[in-house]
Amino acid sequence: MIQFEIVTKMYPLGVAALDGVSFVIDRNEFTFLVGTSGAGKTTILNLILGDLYPNVGTVIVNDIDISSKKNDQIEELRKHIGVVFQDFKILHDKDVFENIALGLYIQKLSLKKIKEQVREVLTLVGLQDRERYFPVQLSAGELQRVAIARALCGDRHIILADEPTGNLDPKTTWDIMKIFKKVETHKTIIIATHNTDIVNSMKKRVLVLKKGKLIKDVQKGGYEL
Amino acid sequence: MKQLLTALRRTPYQTLAVFSSLFLTLFLSLFLIFFLNFLYGLLGYIESRPQVTIYFQNEVSEESILKVKGELEQTGKVESVKYISKNDAYALYKNLNKDNPLLLEMVSPDILPASLEIFAKKPAYLPEIATYLNTVTGKDEVNFQKNVVDKLLSLTSVIRAMSLGFFVFLMSTTIIILTTITHFKIALKKDEIELLRLMGASAGYVRKPFMDQALFLGFITSTVVYMLFGGIFFFLYPSIRGYLSGVQSLFVDLGPYKLTVWPISIEYAGGLYILLTGFGMCIAGLATYFATHKYLIIQRG
Repeated sequence: MIQFEIVTKMYPLGVAALDGVSFVIDRNEFTFLVGTSGAGKTTILNLILGDLYPNVGTVIVNDIDISSKKNDQIEELRKHIGVVFQDFKILHDKDVFENIALGLYIQKLSLKKIKEQVREVLTLVGLQDRERYFPVQLSAGELQRVAIARALCGDRHIILADEPTGNLDPKTTWDIMKIFKKVETHKTIIIATHNTDIVNSMKKRVLVLKKGKLIKDVQKGGYEL
Repeated sequence: MKQLLTALRRTPYQTLAVFSSLFLTLFLSLFLIFFLNFLYGLLGYIESRPQVTIYFQNEVSEESILKVKGELEQTGKVESVKYISKNDAYALYKNLNKDNPLLLEMVSPDILPASLEIFAKKPAYLPEIATYLNTVTGKDEVNFQKNVVDKLLSLTSVIRAMSLGFFVFLMSTTIIILTTITHFKIALKKDEIELLRLMGASAGYVRKPFMDQALFLGFITSTVVYMLFGGIFFFLYPSIRGYLSGVQSLFVDLGPYKLTVWPISIEYAGGLYILLTGFGMCIAGLATYFATHKYLIIQRG
């Protein structure tokens, strides 16, 4: 469960990225964060990830208070969070298998288990025949699928995606969303996006942000600002 | 090991730079350690020689000489006094010149002086003892090695101080160079480190491959330095042996234990290798720790 309680996040020079935001996202819930640029979507994702801490209020993720400055707690929390970035963040000196296995090595799994899990998730994202390909040999859509596979791998039950389809064409965008649909029953998924079509079509919970304030929280909502 | 070698192969220039810096530092350090140990060994050797020797005129009786010996022993300032009679001196002379019959024929016990070899408890007592001996009736000559020992002592102190200064300079320079090189390596891996941190990797997990590489390079470089130094030493061995002819052995006093420096003992050779390897790994590891430290703190805004 993810819980924001009257969270305010100020950036230097007094810019309020979030202003008294409160919401609760349950386990295995699928949520869209929408809003214009600078509305606070990425700040919410960074707070959940423990990359930022709130100036006011509390953020609790998996029973861990993010405001706590204990590094080991944040490290432990991050082992259960998968992140998908708009620019993929794929390591170019590693092949598809190595990129996906990164998080599994951190969890200190045996090589046998790592191979099993990577192959399982590669099948899920439809890249089972690309295991030993290097990033330069893949298209943008395939790279994003590798990034999603990396986020899904291991015991990561919270998936944060920041504009995951921002750099992709409409067809690839839908392929990516289908992957999220496949895992939605056993993962908490939070996607920050500008993509109106996706939000409107998928009929999931939508949190609408404007200038750092949560202005709407709609179950099975659409894209409206 | 495979991953480690791959990582080193993928950054050949950084690896070579680390190797070269470490090589220079370790080679010079080994040379300094070796040189100082030899110097201390030599100092110990010289100190173990008779420190004051008094030779008596021919007419002085053995009784008078033994009286002087007794008086010296009663002062409490001498470690030991050894009486060498004319016959003892002749025996020593015969032994030293056994290969030269002509020299043996020319000498008889009568023309060799009896002597006392005195070992002082402290070098500070030497002038006092020498002054006393110069007043002894029947004295022919007093040989006093204080100057040699003093000069060697002060030379050793100066060399030790200079070596220490040079050693600290060498070590800090190397650490700075290695830290800078590791910074380059980290810059190349910045994206990966960032990603690993976001995925929950601990600082230790991220640091480990860098540390492994540093310790491995430290080990390999010190082994190469040791082997090269050994090769040079054995190449120069005949010359050193010639220079130290007459010196049976040199020791470095390590409290309860005496380490044989010359001829090189297995303990000394092994100890040097362990010391050098430990030092090499320590410098490389320390530099990597400093370099990685600032990248591994979770920067939270």
